[in-house]
Amino acid sequence: MRSGKSGTNGHPDDRRVKNNECPPADSERRERHMEAVLKNLASAAELLAAAAHSGVVEQWDKQTLSRAFHWARYCEHLFSRFHSNPTMRGVMEKQLQLTNQSLGAAFPEYTEVSFSDLSRCQHLLLVGLLNNPELPVSIMKTLFDTWSPANTKQSEYQDVTGFCNHIIQCKSACKVLSPFTDVSAVGADAEVQGVMLMERLGALLSRGGEACRAEHFLDSVLQGCEGAAEHFCLVIAAALLTTKNPAAQTASQGFLLDWLRRKHSVLQLMCSALPTALLIDLAKEHLEFRDAYCDVLKKWASDMEYSMREGEWVQTSTKRTVSFQKLTECFLALFEACPPLREDVERELNALNIADGDFDVRGLSVWGDLLSAFNN
Amino acid sequence: MSQLQPLIQLQQTAESLMNIQEMQFWLEKAVTWGQADSPDTQKDTCLHLSRLKDFLQQLLTHINNMSSTTETMKRLPFLGQFLGRLCWNPYVTADATSRRLLFQCLWGLYSENPGNAVERKANQWIRKVFCQLATEEDDAAAQALMKHMGVPPEEYHLKVLRKMVALMQENIGKSCSSICNINQRCSCDRIKATSETCVPLITCPEAAPLIGVLLQQPVTCVRAALSEDFLDALSSAYSSQCLSLEEQAVVSLWYHKLSSLEEAVLSLLECVLANTGSMPQKLEQQLAQSLLPKACAQHCSIFLVVNDIFRSILKQADGAESVKYLIQSFTSCFLGELALLQHQTSVSLKALFPQSPQSLLVPLLTLPSEMPREAWRHHLNWLSGSLQRLTEEEEEGDGDSISSTRGHHKLFEAWFLLVQCAQWVQVAVQLLVTSGPEDCGPLLWLLTFYHHPTNRGHHRALQLVHAREAWDHLHSLFLALSRPLPADHLQSLVTLLSPQPQRPALSPLLILNLLVNFAVFFQQSLSGSTEILQTVRKRSGLVDEAMCVLNSLELRLNGGSCISSDTNRLHLRIKALQNTLTHRREALCPAENQAHALARSKTGGSTYPHTNA
Repeated sequence: MRSGKSGTNGHPDDRRVKNNECPPADSERRERHMEAVLKNLASAAELLAAAAHSGVVEQWDKQTLSRAFHWARYCEHLFSRFHSNPTMRGVMEKQLQLTNQSLGAAFPEYTEVSFSDLSRCQHLLLVGLLNNPELPVSIMKTLFDTWSPANTKQSEYQDVTGFCNHIIQCKSACKVLSPFTDVSAVGADAEVQGVMLMERLGALLSRGGEACRAEHFLDSVLQGCEGAAEHFCLVIAAALLTTKNPAAQTASQGFLLDWLRRKHSVLQLMCSALPTALLIDLAKEHLEFRDAYCDVLKKWASDMEYSMREGEWVQTSTKRTVSFQKLTECFLALFEACPPLREDVERELNALNIADGDFDVRGLSVWGDLLSAFNN
Repeated sequence: MSQLQPLIQLQQTAESLMNIQEMQFWLEKAVTWGQADSPDTQKDTCLHLSRLKDFLQQLLTHINNMSSTTETMKRLPFLGQFLGRLCWNPYVTADATSRRLLFQCLWGLYSENPGNAVERKANQWIRKVFCQLATEEDDAAAQALMKHMGVPPEEYHLKVLRKMVALMQENIGKSCSSICNINQRCSCDRIKATSETCVPLITCPEAAPLIGVLLQQPVTCVRAALSEDFLDALSSAYSSQCLSLEEQAVVSLWYHKLSSLEEAVLSLLECVLANTGSMPQKLEQQLAQSLLPKACAQHCSIFLVVNDIFRSILKQADGAESVKYLIQSFTSCFLGELALLQHQTSVSLKALFPQSPQSLLVPLLTLPSEMPREAWRHHLNWLSGSLQRLTEEEEEGDGDSISSTRGHHKLFEAWFLLVQCAQWVQVAVQLLVTSGPEDCGPLLWLLTFYHHPTNRGHHRALQLVHAREAWDHLHSLFLALSRPLPADHLQSLVTLLSPQPQRPALSPLLILNLLVNFAVFFQQSLSGSTEILQTVRKRSGLVDEAMCVLNSLELRLNGGSCISSDTNRLHLRIKALQNTLTHRREALCPAENQAHALARSKTGGSTYPHTNA
């Protein structure tokens, strides 16, 4: 089992240039380049598998370790270059499928590597190595070394001494500081995730045309967050509230709001799961959200019916997310933040109330009761 | 030998007994910290952190002294549990030192060749702990999202940390920025709590901006004090160079923590006084680099502390020349920094020099360059007279103990101020060169006073006589036109420069200073001065000191505080004299040497552009 590529310095793309060969035709060059990339990809997958499951790691020294992480970084680079290029991505995914098959045959415990896994290749390598009982203790000690290196390039590969030490320091520092970051309405982690969501979206949208790719991206993220949908709602809120780089922001945020408006379930979840104060901030920041939020509140109201037993309006659906009281509070908070809205909404509710018969008795029209609650 | 064995065993048992008790204490602590994550436990952890580090160090030594893991586990059965719990305490794992010690303890328990099931299990457990620490992700939802966005965990955590630091920085800036309403609760308690929490993060490079902001918070509110533990940890990390701080942060640290300021001053003194090299320019550089003058300019209180330290050093060093020179340079640097800030702050001289005689403040603090050259003599005469009166007052009050102490104190402070502003003493020396016999009285008095402030045994009168004699001697020596100079003249010069065993001795340095100034400023040929300095070099031990005087003259010439109409000529003269002292022209034959020097001085440096000041 090969323990990683030998003989190639840095990226194979440079090989051509280094050999000073006469440049062939463009398409031929691209093809050869592609070939090389795919070959490297396969080798990298093999490396990951060997690191995680085979006994060759016993022979590893610091140099080998550095080289392995260098390969992992190369894969991360491949991901960042080609993840939005469907053709290349497709070709690479196919290659990985093939490699997965052969590696699966060679290693019984093998877990398949997909293209999207490549974005965290160093982490995968690390997980594999640390879980491999054959990994020499000396290698582990290097990874957890506590004297932080000056990141000098001792050999041709970046030093991985203390790689894990730095990770642990970082994670611990986050835990230490997190009680003090309640100044952020959504939390520092959600803010970071929000920024990244915006960045990805921005990158996709800036590539011109093909808004469907951005749409597809959001859909796949949503799908991936099954079971943590509320968390995703928080991230969406954070994304909509990021003020970094306002120019590019408006396009991406607009797109996100459009998408949100069409995803009723997500919108509803946002409005029920997130704290009112946060929703109000969103309403203040984005007109479309204000309107969407208002619509959700009205929808909730329309789904209510008066329960004699409880003496109050309640939601008819099995999942009761909001009480009449809460609904009123939400409306009032919204009015306080966006005063011009009050008149419009009251006018609308009034019309609905009239359509309901315009009785002055409690329990007959949710609209009428809402209006009275507003004016108390 | 056999008698030692039970003793060693007893020692070891005693050691391990102690460790068991301590172990118990720390184990309980670790359990408590792990159970709740309240602000109180957080505070408790931070408070105990430095003691915990000491204990971990002890443990590490203990582990390394054991022959095998089995033995270690037998002696300290709860060790594994303890270390394991600490691994999941973020305060312990965030701090660089405690993390290092913790990891080393774990590695210490790892057996290269496990001999039994206990050791094999220990090995497995250790590997698992490390693996979990590095790769386990608490927030699955966040990780799923990040995976979709193609962001690896290590990048994500780093970004979150930076975000947290940025949020906290902003927030600290906000609290208590406006004038607090007394009835309103200000949020300054947070600052103290934040600083406490930052104790484990002091050496974390990403947290540096936050620490800087905490340190530089203007202290507007009584409750906005920084935690003592924070300042202690910061101070020791900075002095052991585990941490680099921005200039302003260092100044703030000194402002908050007296002991770290003292340490900085003492280390500067050590550094400067250790290489008593003859380079005043280098001293200026060292002073600027130390940041102390800048800090003093920003905070009056720092200046006062530094001066107190200088005072005590002076009293101990018994007037050592290098210390005095340092104080003068420091004060001059400080005044320079103060001038830069003057539009921002408006500290009165009285606040900066509270103990100095107020009447002397402005006269002494005015630089010679700020005054017309013609006024110097008059100014110095006045200074000399004022100081003389002070000494007379002090001597008069010698009967009554209280007033005499006050008198002594006043005199000391006057002398200290003179030391701080010793450029006037240098001007006095320079003027002595061009004085006639009738003018040099007050100047000689000033010079003598500078070198011998106390009048123990009422020897000042005699010292003044000796000073006068020395001046006369030098005057006539430099006036002498015959070459070579008479041997007896030179001999008596050497005698003057050597340490005098009988009292009252006049400081040889005083005479040397005078001599060098004569050599530079006296209007006669360079060759004479050269010869005299050669004598100094060959026959007195004071080459370095003479070099020092020359170098500081050169510096002053550059700085413009000994303005002369032929600065260039003086520069060349000083250069030639420096060469004499350092023996550089030895290669050339002596006659050529003299001819060269003579030619140079006559033409006034025709090879260089001659500028008229």
